[in-house]
Amino acid sequence: MTGIKQVRLSGFGGQGVVLAGLLLGQAGVFDGKYISGSNSYGAQARGSGCKSEVIFSDGPVDFPHLTTADILVAMSQGAYDLYCQDVKKESGLILYDQGFVTPREDLRVKHLAIPATDVSIKRLKNKQAANIVFLGALIEVTHIVSPKAIRKAILVHVGERFQSLNLKALRVGMELGRKMDG
Amino acid sequence: MPSKWVKTPFPKGRYYFSGNEAAAEGAIAAGCRFYAGYPITPSSELMERMAVRLQEVGGVFIQMEDEIASISAVIGASWAGAKAMTATSGPGFSLMQESIGYAAFTETPCVIIDVQRAGPCTGQATKVGSGDIMQAKWGSHGDYQVIALSPWSSQEMYDLTLRAFNLSETYRVPTMVMADEAIGHLRETIQIPSRVEIFDRMKRKGRAPFDSEEEDGVPPMPSFGEGERLAVTGSTHDGFGFRKTDDPQVHARLVSRINKKILNHRRTIIETEDYLIEDAEIALITYGFTARTSLYVVKRLRKEDWKIGMLRLKTLWPFPDEAVAQLGKRVRKILVPEMNLGQVAGEVRKYVPCDVHSLTQTNGEVIRPDVLIETLRRM
Repeated sequence: MTGIKQVRLSGFGGQGVVLAGLLLGQAGVFDGKYISGSNSYGAQARGSGCKSEVIFSDGPVDFPHLTTADILVAMSQGAYDLYCQDVKKESGLILYDQGFVTPREDLRVKHLAIPATDVSIKRLKNKQAANIVFLGALIEVTHIVSPKAIRKAILVHVGERFQSLNLKALRVGMELGRKMDG
Repeated sequence: MPSKWVKTPFPKGRYYFSGNEAAAEGAIAAGCRFYAGYPITPSSELMERMAVRLQEVGGVFIQMEDEIASISAVIGASWAGAKAMTATSGPGFSLMQESIGYAAFTETPCVIIDVQRAGPCTGQATKVGSGDIMQAKWGSHGDYQVIALSPWSSQEMYDLTLRAFNLSETYRVPTMVMADEAIGHLRETIQIPSRVEIFDRMKRKGRAPFDSEEEDGVPPMPSFGEGERLAVTGSTHDGFGFRKTDDPQVHARLVSRINKKILNHRRTIIETEDYLIEDAEIALITYGFTARTSLYVVKRLRKEDWKIGMLRLKTLWPFPDEAVAQLGKRVRKILVPEMNLGQVAGEVRKYVPCDVHSLTQTNGEVIRPDVLIETLRRM
């Protein structure tokens, strides 16, 4: 079971949680990892709480859904409240949307405030790109997939019309991540 | 049975496919060039991909008015010479049962993928279940056999759909892939090979298409338009397809043969996998998504020095009676976890002398490791 990373992306339906999970998983495959990914399906994927889960492993994954989370990305307060306690104590990491999510102070989990929606609106003039800003920050901080792989994943799964916006969002997210690291 | 190795129409490599997408690609690799279906959650992505891929490879895709028409079109296409399939979920699978009986009795190769959801009836359309296992075998009337396979990963959605076509062509029998919502929607790393082995139905000019010298033989299958005199009927028929609805010997011979052609070849058809059963005292018998939970739990309890192992049923029908019986002789207890009220557990009890416990869950969710571990501790 060593070498397994469990990642949960969460937010409202419509924020691009499912696409972000697809891109992250696809990038993992490009990097040569064994990936198992699943996401909300049905009504919840289109409105209320929505999640996308990706397991990264060096070998075949036994149970393909999350048993705990190493990393949580919370794009909404509801998602944060619902999932923050599943994140591993001490070693876990939570990235939350600064300005939209108020984190709890009693959790012994490292938190990073990423102003993804804010930056997405101000710098990209499109709040729909916040999911990819988060991906950029996540990748920069955790190196869970390579930048090359995630760029390739965007080119495979995102329509041509939105590729440049998403690649830019990724760069912006990585810049935010670098600031966090520093 | 002659087979050939062919180049796969999709580039070799590692992909991130959902189970439904992988199954579509497995079908194309097997040579499927006809799909008729009616979209239904949670199988629809399979149909969507077939719509795209059949156009690319020069096949025929048609959305029918319902599932009865879908399976009927598939049967017609098969008799016109195509490898043909449909995919559905519980409600559609119910509608197809009459024609599945027709396909079994007319010995029509076809593949049906059932991406099971939480039933009965319309049930919970977007939620997982595994309640169609008995229906796959017993859904149509009369004595007949089908083959049903049970994938546990995206990779096996590819591999077992390919195998379903091969078995269907080899034995001229409706073959089902009994997936479920959790596997259909699970995205995983899958490997598409450069070449795959495929089997085609046997053809022999002038030979009876509905009889065989062997009591368990599979007759050759001509297609309409090849010049053979061909009549296909769901009534009892002789070797050349003439209706014999009053002849006891013809009926007995035909019913016996369509059952024996599967049951007598079950050692070739049935595939199972076992994990850590050498010294096991407790064993899980498991299939589909739940086998993933089971493997996780077996490995975890092994670390706590439990003598536990598992047998995974990759084939559900014909039922892996020998593998189950052998396991039953070695272990003290068997637990069958499943997302229904004990459909396979009941089957297991027919073949083993030891205690068989049943973990049943019908809440529209997968069986999670903690639930399975808790059940095992209580045993």
